[in-house]
Amino acid sequence: MVVELISSRDRTRAEELIKLSGLRFEKNYETLAGVFANGDLVATAARERNILKMFAVRDDFQGGSILGELVTELVRSGYNAGHQSFFVFTPPRNVPSFQSLNFTPLINHHMVSLLEYGNGLANYLDKHRHLVHKGTNGAVVVNCNPFTLGHLYLIEEAAKRVDHLYIFVVREDRSIFPFDTRYKLVTEGVQHLRNVSVLDSSEYAVSGVTFPSYFLKTDDDAQTLQIELDLILFAKHIAPAFNICKRFIGTEPYCRTTRLYSEAMHHVLAPFGLETIQLQRKQHDDGVISAFRVREALRREAFETVRRLVPTTTFDYLRSREARGIMDNLRTHQRRH
Amino acid sequence: MQIKQKAQAGTMQSSDLMVFLEPAETLRIEIDSTVKKQFEHLIRQQVEAVLKKAEVTSGHIRINDRGALDYAIIARMEAGLKRACE
Repeated sequence: MVVELISSRDRTRAEELIKLSGLRFEKNYETLAGVFANGDLVATAARERNILKMFAVRDDFQGGSILGELVTELVRSGYNAGHQSFFVFTPPRNVPSFQSLNFTPLINHHMVSLLEYGNGLANYLDKHRHLVHKGTNGAVVVNCNPFTLGHLYLIEEAAKRVDHLYIFVVREDRSIFPFDTRYKLVTEGVQHLRNVSVLDSSEYAVSGVTFPSYFLKTDDDAQTLQIELDLILFAKHIAPAFNICKRFIGTEPYCRTTRLYSEAMHHVLAPFGLETIQLQRKQHDDGVISAFRVREALRREAFETVRRLVPTTTFDYLRSREARGIMDNLRTHQRRH
Repeated sequence: MQIKQKAQAGTMQSSDLMVFLEPAETLRIEIDSTVKKQFEHLIRQQVEAVLKKAEVTSGHIRINDRGALDYAIIARMEAGLKRACE
């Protein structure tokens, strides 16, 4: 029978079992489940948000019904926590075990496979079917924290080069401006453009699916792998659904992660027939316009500087009563994003 | 009966199924199964029969099946409905 492992003694046992299976134990999880036989812990697995991970089954208990029991328990707890579909990242050799549990493979990479339980991706594409346009279409993926003249320039330039441009706003909330606000400012800021649609990136376009690295060796580059998976997911599932054949990015002078991402884009997307087009960023008197500079200016309350960096729609929002909470946060918190 | 809250029943074991029910404006049944190609229509028949008997006309019902027989489908559906309609 599957039980939730709560006591520190049980957790230590789970940690040992996971390490014994050649995996790394990760402390981030919401539920840790286990199966006991004759007083010994023989199998364990964990769930963090909608990600199932750290599956470890003792050798002499493999091949039976234990995997199904563990997944049942984790899906049950995840469903109660409000999640609809679930992801599992696993070494490619385990794919058939999960497929027999009704998981659908989304990505097969030589080092890791991503599978989904539930119809999250199909539902996402279905929901946006009315936005599908024929022709040669393009895509930009933007965080817009907040929406600046730099973003607007990138979008306008990209839109000139394609029949229709899809703007995916990153769903994941790791930024100081929450998703709803970022989405709203983008939508308002591009209203004058006829051939663009603004979309929620969901967990698929730029995945908020944080990739667990528990089965990687320490010298594997988890970040590069994460970026590759993310791009493959886009190329394989999102781009074909919207007839996207060009992806646009701006040159990135500041952020290392973003730069890594841009570099990986060329070689990952090309085999899928997707072209990566890098556009020069819009220059301002003293350097390029970036959301980072806007946030810095907001911190100093230099509103005249801000005015020169953002569209009026964003500026009006920043001066509104609605934005007051965020402005207070900006002043008190120092962070990169 | 009317589906008033989220509920779930069943397991992911072989020959069983997992049923997820949620309130919705219309009736929508989504079926995922390891034997979907051969038996989707029969699974749907069973699900619809249970719903009809319970006079449920709306809700979002997701079935995740691993080759369950009719009686298992009926039992899991009834259990799920009782939890969702409480």
